[in-house]
Amino acid sequence: MFKKAQLERLFVSLVMLAFVSLAISIIGIKPDIFQKLQFLFLTVAIIFVTLIWAQSKTIQFNSNRLRKQIFGWLLSSIFSILIWSFAQKDIQSIFPSLKGYRKALNTLEPIAIYLAIVFILFALILSIVGARDSRLDRPGYIERTLVYNLSSKIAAIPMMLTSVGIFIIATLWTVYHSFTNSRMLPKSEFIGLAQYERLWSSDRWYMSIENLAIYGACSLVFSLFIGFLLAALLDQKTRFENTFRTIFLYPFALSFIVTGLVWQWILNPEYGVEKIVRSLGFESFVFNPLYNTDIVIYGILAAGLWQGTGFIMCLMLAGLRGIDQEIWKAAKIDGIPMWKTYIQVVIPMMRPIFITTLVIIAAGIIKVYDLVVAQTSGGPGISSEVPAKYVYDYMFSAQNLGQGFAASTMMLVSVLIVLIPFAYLQFGRRKYD
Amino acid sequence: MNSIEIKNLSLNFGDVKVLKDLNLSVEKGEFLVLLGASGCGKSTLLNCIAGLLDITDGQIFINNQNVTWYEPSERGIGMVFQSYALYPQMSVEGNLSFSLKNAKLSKEEINTRVKNASEILQIEDLLKRKPAALSGGQRQRVAIGRALVRDVEVFLFDEPLSNLDAKLRTELRVEIKRLHHKLKNTMIYVTHDQIEAMTLANRIAIMRDGLILQLDNPKTIYNFPVNKYVAEFIGSPSMNFIEGRLDGTNFEFDELSFNLEGYSFKEKIKANSQVWLGVRPENIVINEADKTMPVNCDVVVEVVEPMGADTLVWSSLNGKELRFTVEGNKIVNIGDKLNVGFDPAHVSIFDFETEDRL
Ligand SMILES: Nc1ncnc2c1ncn2[C@@H]1O[C@H](COP(=O)(O)OP(=O)(O)OP(=O)(O)O)[C@@H](O)[C@H]1O
Ligand SMILES: [Mg+2]
Repeated sequence: MFKKAQLERLFVSLVMLAFVSLAISIIGIKPDIFQKLQFLFLTVAIIFVTLIWAQSKTIQFNSNRLRKQIFGWLLSSIFSILIWSFAQKDIQSIFPSLKGYRKALNTLEPIAIYLAIVFILFALILSIVGARDSRLDRPGYIERTLVYNLSSKIAAIPMMLTSVGIFIIATLWTVYHSFTNSRMLPKSEFIGLAQYERLWSSDRWYMSIENLAIYGACSLVFSLFIGFLLAALLDQKTRFENTFRTIFLYPFALSFIVTGLVWQWILNPEYGVEKIVRSLGFESFVFNPLYNTDIVIYGILAAGLWQGTGFIMCLMLAGLRGIDQEIWKAAKIDGIPMWKTYIQVVIPMMRPIFITTLVIIAAGIIKVYDLVVAQTSGGPGISSEVPAKYVYDYMFSAQNLGQGFAASTMMLVSVLIVLIPFAYLQFGRRKYD
Repeated sequence: MNSIEIKNLSLNFGDVKVLKDLNLSVEKGEFLVLLGASGCGKSTLLNCIAGLLDITDGQIFINNQNVTWYEPSERGIGMVFQSYALYPQMSVEGNLSFSLKNAKLSKEEINTRVKNASEILQIEDLLKRKPAALSGGQRQRVAIGRALVRDVEVFLFDEPLSNLDAKLRTELRVEIKRLHHKLKNTMIYVTHDQIEAMTLANRIAIMRDGLILQLDNPKTIYNFPVNKYVAEFIGSPSMNFIEGRLDGTNFEFDELSFNLEGYSFKEKIKANSQVWLGVRPENIVINEADKTMPVNCDVVVEVVEPMGADTLVWSSLNGKELRFTVEGNKIVNIGDKLNVGFDPAHVSIFDFETEDRL
């Protein structure tokens, strides 16, 4: 029915699924259900071990390396069982000193059971497939995943824990609580989609999304375009290139708050551009974008571009510098005009840089918050609200966690909708390149 | 008829004078090789001809037309670079046809030209591939093809084979020679490699510090170098130089004296002038029978380097180093005392001060 390698892969996935269930139950989301789920996964994993054994029908310990590995897993499993047993009441009554650590031990208990089972399974499966593989003299999937380069895997554990902990578990936690009526503190009282209904019937949220769309589209197009243009100009063996580069990059060294304040002053009618032009004699000149609900987002856009474009330019310049000068010479001899060389030869060669830049710009767009706070605080009215501000305000000022979580979940969903096809294209294509 | 004519060309990069008042004319259909040490301005000269650098002074004619201020693409030249400089995102076909499409040629015309070029260079099977999927030799063929499709008068090569391994280099060298024979275009070829220069060239220009020292056919350059630098640069292993005094036709150094009757002097020599005597290692032979060569001396063997076909012997002549080659199957041992000799007709004599040929 299955190939051996497929079975092995399924086994590893089951162990991982069990781990995810365990993690979810530990953070307190429906602990009873997820604990059962975890044991279900582990049971199926055990069935898979038997299936794999049924196919190969050998349990051997014929190489020294293998014996060491199996021994190691068994030892770890005994250690886990020991920890588990310390959490049991009977053992604690024998060793009263353990009672002091009761709380910690109780938290560790489910992890210890999980690890004990999984380690025994690892030892078992290694003795089955490891035997086969040592005959073929080539390590199989299990051995490669579990044992190969063990030290680097151990070194990666903190990173993995952080990324799993923060990105996956915290995300799941947020999504889960967006279906509850949590207010100041997270609660587990389900109210279905009510938070989302409220979110999508709120004018402020609509305004935020509209603003983000305008800001995002414009800032993507303009910062790419202006950044590339500046880089291309600087690449023409410009004099004082270093000076220009420094000037363009300076704003990037400022924080968004400072940028926001600076631009608030520049755009302020009382002491900014309007004042200056009026003092030149044009008394009827009006320029106060930050007080005009229709164009306030463009005022914020200007500040964002001013700050971000220099950095984009530097990335692009680095990309342009990476292009072999002989390519330019060849294009000149072929009689290709410069703009055409840029579009048809140079920009396609800079694809990796463009992708990096795109990701950086996109991340900047999604998280735009402080610029708005510093310049307009979302005003006038709600006309310069953005989603990140909506989330922040509901979570920390309005003390409505559920609403904030619902909004951030919507942001996450929209990012995923954009990102998944993009990543798919990106990684899917690498195979053919 | 001259295909390329360069008059009083100078080029400065800021204060650095790279080319100094250089004159050169290349005949139609000629294969000219620019040879010289690194940094002597070969690439710079080629870029000036191609129009990729703005020259400081002088004029450049291609096909009797003053092209000094023409755009590179209008000069009727094609250029092949060391790093291939293919457009990586385009297929081979795209690379070949890019310039033609840009020049708005008809589809049929483009197709026939691409087909012709790829037939000549044997890259028909590669047309659909990207440059990344080609080997170095194949890439360089495509780069040559890109010049070929443009149907140009003059081909410029800037060290086209330097990035290839030795075997491929030999193969492509022969192919370039064949191509030249077939197309009969004018070609200017920059290289570091003497063998490439000697085998490919109709004429070789030896350059040093932005000047052409000697421009002649390979044989003449090899046998009659105009000065000591050229003599040293051409030939591997390089020429032996012995410092001494020239008295009539008698060359004296230390206690030894050679009679150089048979050497054709360019001018009358002052009596007792100080000179360099240059002898190529392959012109020195071991005297088997009784002193068959007009000039003889005794040497002690110090190092023996067998190279297969022949063996290079480093020996000491009265404490001075003398290199010579013997046939590969000859047995020479370190410490042997040998009598060697050479024919004065095959030596070169240079003035000690000016280092010019006498
Ligand atoms: N852009 C430049 N600015 C200043 N000096 C330069 C520049 N390009 C080249 N040079 C100088 O001009 C001289 C000639 O350079 P060129 O590239 O023509 O040498 P080359 O003979 O081709 O050497 P190689 O065999 O190493 O390619 C060198 O001394 C180099 O330092
Ligand atoms: Mg060069």
